[in-house]
Formats: sequence, C-alpha cells, structure tokens
Amino acid sequence: MSERRRHPRSIRYLAAAAITALAATACSSSASTAGKVSSGPITIGMSLPMTGPVADVSKSGLQGYQLWLSQLNAAGGLLGHQLKLDVLDDGFDPNQTATDYTRLISQDRVNLLLGTFSSLLNAPASAIAARQGMLYVEPSGGAASLFTRGFTNLFFAQPGTTTSEPDRFVAWIASLPASQRPATAAYVTQDDPSAAPAVAVFRTRLQALGIKTVYDQTYEPSTTSFDAIASSVAHARPQLVIQGAVADDGAAFVRSLEKLNFSPKMLFQTNAPADAAYPGAIGQANADGVFTAEAWSPQAKYPGNAAFVAAYTKKFGSPPTEDAANSYTAGQVLAAAVRAVGRVDQKALGAWLHTHTVSTIVGPLKWNSAGDPEGSLLLAQWQGGKLQIVAPKSAATTSHIVTVKPAWAS
Amino acid sequence: MTELAQTLVFGVLTGSVYALMATGLTLTFGVMKIVNMAQGAFLVLSAYLCYWLWSRFGIDPLLGGFIVAIPMALLGVALYRLVIERVQRIDPGLTIVATFALALVAEACIALVWGPNPAASTPGYFNQAFRLGSLVVPRAQFYACLLAVGVTVALQAVIRRSWLGHAITAASENPEGARLVGVRPARVGAWIFAIATATSAFGGAALSFLYQFTPDSQDVWIGLTLSVVILGGLGSIPGAFAAGLLLGVAEAVTSTYISVRWSAAVPTLLILVVLLIRPQGLFTRAARPDAAT
Repeated sequence: MSERRRHPRSIRYLAAAAITALAATACSSSASTAGKVSSGPITIGMSLPMTGPVADVSKSGLQGYQLWLSQLNAAGGLLGHQLKLDVLDDGFDPNQTATDYTRLISQDRVNLLLGTFSSLLNAPASAIAARQGMLYVEPSGGAASLFTRGFTNLFFAQPGTTTSEPDRFVAWIASLPASQRPATAAYVTQDDPSAAPAVAVFRTRLQALGIKTVYDQTYEPSTTSFDAIASSVAHARPQLVIQGAVADDGAAFVRSLEKLNFSPKMLFQTNAPADAAYPGAIGQANADGVFTAEAWSPQAKYPGNAAFVAAYTKKFGSPPTEDAANSYTAGQVLAAAVRAVGRVDQKALGAWLHTHTVSTIVGPLKWNSAGDPEGSLLLAQWQGGKLQIVAPKSAATTSHIVTVKPAWAS
Repeated sequence: MTELAQTLVFGVLTGSVYALMATGLTLTFGVMKIVNMAQGAFLVLSAYLCYWLWSRFGIDPLLGGFIVAIPMALLGVALYRLVIERVQRIDPGLTIVATFALALVAEACIALVWGPNPAASTPGYFNQAFRLGSLVVPRAQFYACLLAVGVTVALQAVIRRSWLGHAITAASENPEGARLVGVRPARVGAWIFAIATATSAFGGAALSFLYQFTPDSQDVWIGLTLSVVILGGLGSIPGAFAAGLLLGVAEAVTSTYISVRWSAAVPTLLILVVLLIRPQGLFTRAARPDAAT
C-alpha cells in the first residue's frame, strides 16, 4: 500500500526533475547562444513606439538608426558582417515593449540590442536585456531610477541624465540680479520616470534660491486636455513655469495657456521644445523665449557631427532632430564597443564600455559603473525661430539670452 | 471665489464640447439602439478634414465643419447601407462589433493619409480670450460652445418639428406601426446615420482647434462620448447636452480642487452613481414595465 502510494509521488518527482532539467537546459542554451553571430548578417533588435502618442519622435529616432546602419554597411559593416535591423512596434506600451524585447532575444535571436525611447519604455526593456545578459545601449531614458537597479549592461548614450537637466538653467537663474529673478514658480509634470524626477530637482534647487512654489501638479501620461491645469496655473500667476513634458503634452499645455492668454515671464519645458513640430503646434512666434535642455546641437563641433547633419538631411530631406542624433549616437557607442572587442560577446562589450571613452556626435561619452554618463546637458532657448544653445559658453550658438519671454502672439 | 467662477466657466465651455461630440452617438444609440463604436473615429476623421481645409486653403475650422458635414453625411449613408443594415439582418447585436471594426479601419486609413504625427489647427482666435472682469473666456472655446448650442437646438428642432423627426420617433418606438403609416424604417435608419455622422463634423471642427489629435485619439473621445450618452439617457439630445455640461464641470472642479489625476476617473464615477440612483439616465423617463410586452 505504502509502496503504491510512493510510486505516483516518485513519478511526480521524476517528472518535476525532468521538467526542471529541460527548462535549465533551455535557459542555458538560450543564454549561451543569444547574441552569437552565425555566417549571415549581424541582426540588431529594437522595439520602438512607431504608433501612439510619441510616434512622431520615434520616426526620426528610427531614421537616426537607419542612417547609422547604412553608413556602417557602406563602410564594410562590423567584424566582416553586414548589419540589419529587426524593428518591432510597441505603441508606447511598456508591457508590449517587454514582450517585444523578449521576442527579439528568445524568438528572433538577434545578435545585439539597441534601446527604445522614453524612460517609461526603456525601464522594462533594459530589465529584459539584463535578465538575458544582453548589452543594452539606449538613446533615451535618462531617469535616475533606471541607473539604481544594479544593471551592468545598461549604457545611456547622452551626455547626462535627467537629474542633470536643471543644472545650467538653475545656474543661469542664480546668475541673474535679484530684481530679474522670478519670485514665484509653478511645476507641472507628466508622471513619467524621466520627467517627474527632473522637475523634482528643479523645484528643490529653485526653492533653495528663494523662488516660491505657487502650484505643483502631476498628470497622467494619458492626459490630453490641459485646460484645467492651465486654468489653475493662470490663477496662481507664477512668473516661472516648469513643465516636465515628454512629447506632444508640451505643445498641448502651451496651447491651453495660450487659450487663457496667460504668458509666464519664463517657461522651461523638458523634451517637447526640441520637437520639430513644436513651433507649428503652438504658433510659430510663440516658441520664442521658451527654454529646454538638449543632449545635442546640430552646430556642435564634435567629430562627425557636421557630417551626420549633412548626411541625414540629404537622406531624409529634413534636418535631424535630437532623437535622431541620440539614436545615431547609441549606434556609434555599440559599434565602437564591437570593433574594439572584436567579437559579439555581451559581457566583454559591457566591460569595455565601462572602462573607455567613446567619441560620438554628442561629444566624448564616459560612463560610471551604473551606465550613467558623467556629463551635463546643454541649455537651449527658442530665439527668432531657431533653437539656440545658450549654455555652456563653450557650446553656445549665441551669447544672447531672452530673460523675459514675449507675450503670446496672435 | 474668482477661482471657482473661472473653474465653472471652464467646465461649462469644455462640457458643451463634450456634448457636441456626443450628439451623433446619442442619435444612433438612443433611436436605433446601435452603439456606434466608430463615432470616435468619425470625430477624428472630421478633425483631420477640417485641419486639411484650414492648412491647405486657409478655411476657418468653424466654417470647415459645415463643409465637412456633407461628405460625412454621405459616408454615414454608405456605411449604413453597406454594413450596418446587412449586419442587423444577421444579428442586431453584431453591430457593435462591426462598428468597432470600422473604427479600426478608419484609424488605419487616417494614419496612412496624414501620418502618426499630432495635428492641430491654429486659427487667429485660438489663443485669444475675452475678459469679463477677472474672468477669462477663451475665444476658441466660446465659439465651440456656441457651435454646440446651435447644433443641439437645430437637431432638437428637426426631431420635434419636422416630418423626418416624427418618422424617426415613430420608427424607433413602434417600427410595425410606423410601416403602416408609410414610414420605411430602413430609409429612416439611413437618415439617422447621415445626421449622426454629419454632426461628428462639427465635433471634429471643434476638436481640430481646441486640442491636438492623432489617428488614435478616437480611443479617448469614444470613451468620453459614451459616458455623456449614458449619463444623459439614451436618445435624449437635451439630456446629452446637460450631461456634457455636468461632466465638464465635474472634471474642472475635480482638477482644480482635488487632483488632475482624479479628473480622469470622474466620468466612470458619475456613471456608477447615476446607474445606482437613476439607471435610465439623468434626463429620460424610465420605461413602463409593460412597454416591452
């Protein structure tokens, strides 16, 4: 009886052991073969939000990747192989992003990965890459929270993360005579892992300068109408407005302020003002005086930057955006590591990047152990229909800074 | 006090636009018992057409709405004849699936023609405002509110005073009886669809200069317009208008005095409360228990 009882249990144990062994074999097989190059081209996988609210950003980002790829292939590829992209669409959905990167690694068996756009999407994507032992170079996704997870395979291909975004603007405010400094500020930010921490740093530093907070609001990424927020901001009458924008929410918020005819003395928005569609969406003249932080400038004198701008403009018929430059930079970082290591070995590539500086179109990039770049972003301002770099002086394209933003033009 | 007054003004102006966008859905939902899931896509399509007229020919979106209403009405008739009528013959419950499929097709077509980038019209008045003492009334929203009132009054007049309106009421309440007095329900159905899609042109016109929109913006608007219709009561055009105002004011008050994050939950909370207290909607009478027999 007891023997009979033991028998099914031992079968269960055997079955469990067999399943565990099979799973372990499958996992070790997946880990050992992922990223290895066969005789064909080197495949680089990525999932981008080609549809949805940031589709406009992604298009130029993809074009940056495409230009980098075509130039690299024209020059003979990498390690004697041509390269090809495997691009999936996540529709700006973090869950879909995680699914896509899992598919790229496990099903499509790509050799290398490149990152997507926004911290919201790069957070799950980089976690999948870390779990599978794949190198992950991201063109966007500078939220500080991404670099506190202990990942050693994550590298941010911009000069600084979002926490460095306020550096130059706050320094400029501090340099103003007391009579020209704003006395009050309103903070509005999307609940985004990149934008919200940046705005929190703004608030802390500006409050330390004695600038009183009169309004502070965080909105959901799905927010489409900013009329109520703008109405509250207008009622609080701040002299300075800081918005943690991610994409078209920047223009939408400004449109709502314009509808109320409320024009703050100073306006700083993250990301959105660098979008080519921004001035058109808010009225061409109304961008004047708006500040933002940029990772890249088309006028910067870094090696390869002028050639990148010219090649991109020729290939796609319009000048590159910051997102295009960032994805091109991510490609440059990846290629530099593969060339230097001489093989597609995910661990060796990560180790090399942790110990070397890479020359890119956004300047020389160097990372700490968390993949956080050791630099700072540029301070830019719309002036006369152009986005000018106003700080630091070494990269400035103009010495003039508009201190008081003009009222909205009709 | 000024803040409260400003919030209420904003709520009323925003709510009237919600009502304008929900008018077409009220007609098809209330009269024909069809949940037209493509109504959001029709709104966005109309917004793109108005935007195109404005950017290409400089035609003001408010005027553009009247121009776009004509092709939208024809589209409504075509869709009714080719899709809705046929699906209804198989199973009336399938119309929700059919219109959902139409919404997906429309979204893809819009993306193919105009691309995925956000669009918005910026006519001269879009960033101007009237001032009433310390109150600010945005001109763009005031004009959209006037358009909403105009469309609601005109539609109500058609339903109450014209032969077509009487035919629509008769066909919806008693199709067999209507047939006996010479009303052809199929033809009435085509008319309702034509009017419903034509009114989406005016909602789209307002959308084109009040907000930015992308091909997938329909997801936001179909949810909001369905909320308005459920709150107002099926088929009641004045009810939809009042429900739109209620929703707009509730959202504005929540955003200002509680949190912007909670304002997104306002439509759902209102529907829950209304379903518990007054399941037939705020502005319609409950059906008699024997009405279905």
